[in-house]
Amino acid sequence: MAAQTNSLPLTEPRSPGARASLGDRLIIALAIICTFIAFSPFGYAILTSFKSQWKDGSIIPFVQFEPNLQNWQTEFGSGGPETFKALRNSTLISLGATLVATTLGTLAGYGLARFKYGIGNRNLVSWFLSQRFLPPVATLIPFVLMFRDLKLLDTLPGMVIVNATFTLPFAVLIMRDYFADLPPEMREAALVDGASEFTTFLRIALPLARPALVASTLICFAFAWNEFLFASVLANRDWKPYPMLVAGSDTVRGIDFGFVTTRMLIAVTAPVILSLMVQRFIVRGLTFGAVKG
Amino acid sequence: MTNSRAKYLFLMPGVCWILAFTLFPLLYSFGLSLTNYRLGKNPKYIGFENYAEILGIGDEKIDKKAVSTASFSAFLFLGSTAATLIFGTFVAWVFNHNLPFLRQMRAIITMPLFAAPIALGWLGVVLFNEQSGPINNVLEGLGLGRVNWFIEPMPARFAVMFTDVWQWTPFVFIVVLAAMQSVPDDLYESAQLDTKSNWQLFRWITFPMIAPALGTVMLLRMVESLKIIDIPYSLTRGGPGSVTQTYVYYAYETGLVGSFQLGEAAALAYLLVVVAIVVSSIYFYRVRERFE
Repeated sequence: MAAQTNSLPLTEPRSPGARASLGDRLIIALAIICTFIAFSPFGYAILTSFKSQWKDGSIIPFVQFEPNLQNWQTEFGSGGPETFKALRNSTLISLGATLVATTLGTLAGYGLARFKYGIGNRNLVSWFLSQRFLPPVATLIPFVLMFRDLKLLDTLPGMVIVNATFTLPFAVLIMRDYFADLPPEMREAALVDGASEFTTFLRIALPLARPALVASTLICFAFAWNEFLFASVLANRDWKPYPMLVAGSDTVRGIDFGFVTTRMLIAVTAPVILSLMVQRFIVRGLTFGAVKG
Repeated sequence: MTNSRAKYLFLMPGVCWILAFTLFPLLYSFGLSLTNYRLGKNPKYIGFENYAEILGIGDEKIDKKAVSTASFSAFLFLGSTAATLIFGTFVAWVFNHNLPFLRQMRAIITMPLFAAPIALGWLGVVLFNEQSGPINNVLEGLGLGRVNWFIEPMPARFAVMFTDVWQWTPFVFIVVLAAMQSVPDDLYESAQLDTKSNWQLFRWITFPMIAPALGTVMLLRMVESLKIIDIPYSLTRGGPGSVTQTYVYYAYETGLVGSFQLGEAAALAYLLVVVAIVVSSIYFYRVRERFE
């Protein structure tokens, strides 16, 4: 094969002792540049969060500026009660929404993978996913009035409902895809043994689908955690989630960059870490099954 | 038979949920768009007057702000989609090599995708800052001079676009990479007999093979770009003036801030729903076989 002499877009094994060719080095260099561009804004934010003075534009810690924990202390110390309350709200809202979305999504996903429905399964799946394509303002406006009448404004159940609604498509799709890939013989064997449809689902299919269940949970959680638009209108006092705090960073003390970046980092930490755990499911989950990852 | 009962029991909870919390609000919203409802006032049915006002039909003047915000949304719809597709495909090509450490770097690259857009807007405020921001420092270092990102209209538009592009390029990247990795190796092997040019191989083998996936991400990106609000909300507050206000942002401001003109805002939102339905129909038409 010619791959030893030039760098082709190939994924083929190399002999272990082979020296990196010029082309390979170029590719590695490009990859490092891409990674740097993707990461450097976060890196800059991390540095800024350890600076009390930002105006000078210095970036090298210990050389150009003395790193300190002042911003972090403000956020978790004097600003602690507000911070912890918002983080608690975010956690409860995201957990609740994830629980609802994954439960409904798992049931519907199993149904869509295993049975044929009169309306046509593809229409049903499209219908479940179409929610994701709507501009959120279109449903946000009626939600304000509905929630006012149902006394759900600024409550945990209200926030769980909106977040579960927009994360449900991810759950349906990830679960349906996974169930569809399981061998149907397993279900048939269990049914022959006299188990009911629901027992079969619970005892046979669900345990096998654990990886998809984890992926669906993490992806739903991450998206609910990041939600700002609905919260800004429907939960602006007692059940204010953390992104609302981030959005209001300037009103507290003008724009203090160290403070803003600290909050920004707190907001992105959880979903970014979760995303690293579900790499395998990201492609399928986010393209709604259109591309197999 | 129990089988036919059971299969509906699996589906029903989800279907009911969507009916209650997506379809019903959507119909409600349409009803609202036919009224002059303002919070605290009694709504009156006014037919399609809100729509006529926005679109400038009959003796109404066209809503200038709707037009200008829609044009900024169109700017993002085209610019952001195109930029993420080009960058994402290039990065995917780089990472579609069997070399050490690419896997680890790939995980780092996907990080922006999962960060809250509202937080990334704030990060942009820091990065694009005129006096001390690293972007201006780099530009100055390169001899290109400083840019007034938040004062001048065009740079402000690009600041919003760049932030969105930075967040979404990883999405295009991982999808296109997945598509590239499913291209069979023997296609390249036989093509290598004819050419050694990387560009030729990309143009005649890789590109045709990833085109369907590119079409899919393009449509997804288009739909997502219509929904952008968080980034300009925290990055520019829609300014200077309202040049970086997206159409959704305008609808949000009309209905949910200040005078709460819910009827008019619902009409604004509904016009966008129509556009979203068109784009998503194309999407579902393309991918629905996979849902069987």
